[in-house]
Amino acid sequence: MSAVVNQELLEAAVDRIADDNLTALRKKAVASFGNTGFPSVKNEDWRYTDLSPAAELSNIHLGTAEGTDSESQLTDSQIGDWIGDIDAHWIVLSNGIADARSSAALSALADAGVAITPLSENTESVQVTIDDPLTSFNASLLNDGLVIRVAENTKLDKPIGLLVLHNAASSSGMSQTRLVVEVGQNAVVQFVEMQVSAGDSPYFANSVMQLDLAAGAQADIVRMQSCNDEHIQISKVIAQINEDAVLQYATIDVGGHLVRSDIVANIVGARSRVEISGVFLADGRQHIDNHILTDHTVGPAKSIQNFRGIIGGRARCVFNGKAIVREGADGSDAEQTNHNLLISDTAEIDTKPELEIFADDVKCSHGATVGQLDKAAIFYLRSRGLSYEQATILLTRAFTGHILAQLPIDAVKNHVDKLVERKLDAMTETAAQ
Amino acid sequence: MSTMLEIKNLHASIGEIPILRGLSLSVGAGEVHAIMGPNGSGKSTLALVIAGHEDYKVTGGSVLFDGQDILDLEPEERARAGIFLGFQYPVEIPGVNNAYLLKAAVNAGRKNRGETEIDAFEFLKLAREKMSLLEMDPSFLNRGVNEGFSGGEKKRNEILQMAMLEPRLSILDETDSGLDIDALKAVAKGVNALRDPARSIILVTHYQRLLDYIEPDHVHVLSKGRIVKSGDKSLATELEERGYDWVQEAASA
Repeated sequence: MSAVVNQELLEAAVDRIADDNLTALRKKAVASFGNTGFPSVKNEDWRYTDLSPAAELSNIHLGTAEGTDSESQLTDSQIGDWIGDIDAHWIVLSNGIADARSSAALSALADAGVAITPLSENTESVQVTIDDPLTSFNASLLNDGLVIRVAENTKLDKPIGLLVLHNAASSSGMSQTRLVVEVGQNAVVQFVEMQVSAGDSPYFANSVMQLDLAAGAQADIVRMQSCNDEHIQISKVIAQINEDAVLQYATIDVGGHLVRSDIVANIVGARSRVEISGVFLADGRQHIDNHILTDHTVGPAKSIQNFRGIIGGRARCVFNGKAIVREGADGSDAEQTNHNLLISDTAEIDTKPELEIFADDVKCSHGATVGQLDKAAIFYLRSRGLSYEQATILLTRAFTGHILAQLPIDAVKNHVDKLVERKLDAMTETAAQ
Repeated sequence: MSTMLEIKNLHASIGEIPILRGLSLSVGAGEVHAIMGPNGSGKSTLALVIAGHEDYKVTGGSVLFDGQDILDLEPEERARAGIFLGFQYPVEIPGVNNAYLLKAAVNAGRKNRGETEIDAFEFLKLAREKMSLLEMDPSFLNRGVNEGFSGGEKKRNEILQMAMLEPRLSILDETDSGLDIDALKAVAKGVNALRDPARSIILVTHYQRLLDYIEPDHVHVLSKGRIVKSGDKSLATELEERGYDWVQEAASA
């Protein structure tokens, strides 16, 4: 039987959180969540992704703790290992709250036009979304969150780094992260988001990012997820794209046990461009599900979805990329592609690029492929003296190389390459056994 | 003159279909041999069998390279030993950098010979030198292997690989097909630059045209999986004038 979140436990946990500016929001969210609970696999959008393990972990956690996670006790060298050589203004987040290590970055950013304040201090000015079960679950248990406001015309010297720590050091943990990002007119900002596990225990992280790009603004975001193999990661990004704005979002999943990412880009301004790309690498019994929606309400505007997956072991991945072009959104150009490489007989991908078009003057294309390595290419490389193993590794890397080469933030390329390489090494090693 | 390649009574099939049916050929060091013949005579099969393509099953005979049977060797072991196949249809490999492959290939050979790896500077210098000989733009180094190359560019790229690897035995499978006259001359220049008393070359070709630019020591006609006639370069001219029928008829008579 599939597990559901115990609403009484949840309400009790919410009641235990000390009253603050977010109390009203939590009460409203918990009531909203109670109407539905987590979506089941009967829901078309969740057909391939069963949230029972997340519900089970939630119940354990809600029954034993305040519903949230304590601040991590990590050393600077551990943090340094995760961040690697990425030069950014690093903010270390734990359960949605910036820890003391972030203070230098926060003040440097404040000077440069980026105000970062706790969500609890912004309840008047920020609308915290609770419009689906996971975002209302997130709001029910919010300790706090971050509001990041980038002033008009701001240009930063380097990206803003968000190191999101999941404190999986001891018993099963859970956290809710909420980020509200508002990028002012003609400002350009880059975010490097890194989701990591501190420890190897089971953990359920549920994060929501609300992103608003004002006219002419640009946000480049690279999200990397390399959590432990017991980790459950549910993420949602809801973005509003106004006229002449640009969103370039890339997501890299190499870790986690059960991973689901929803990215919704609402194109509400003409001449805007949204590019969402992703690489997912899964083996063992990993489950990685990407659900992407680009919703064109006005045109002309362009959206591109481009995802590539390499799946081995008994892993199962899902890609659902949808573009909606609403009535009157003439001049919309929507493109979706998903290519997958299966490196074991037991690996699985369910891929579904979808288009819903209600306007006349549009240009849309979509395509998906599932395949194995090209034998002719393997022979060609071997005939040049490369071993079979070298040839397969090279071709496997080349498969994702196309997306990795075009990551919107140069400063992360080296690090992402290493993450991907390490994962592929582990995958090819397992495959060879 | 020592024998580099000695093929004896070679039989090979693809699936259940026999293609090579008792082919024998001896290539001495420093020699250039041309293998001609009509479509379906087994020319490409011979090239692929020597290179070790797994789709072709050797059902009899032997192939000795430097006196050693190579039929049990993996394709990469044959390559590292100094055998090079220039493909009729070079494969496009997007995402694998041309320079990376060239360097990995050069180093695979060097490692096999107990030499140190080539350094980046030396590699680039060598690659540029060979590319200028083949009239190739250096920007090809940074592109995906054969990715988006025209037919002629692909063939030049094959010869570039050959020039970098300096193989002892090169088998060029219809390298001349689809080339315009300028590309043909450039390719011939690359091949001729590699002619050396220690290297042998087998040109698999349909037409005599290539042989105007790369002069062979021996010409063989392949028909139904066997060599049915051998001669010097004048045989190629005769084939050009009279076609293949007379040789095939004489062979089956």
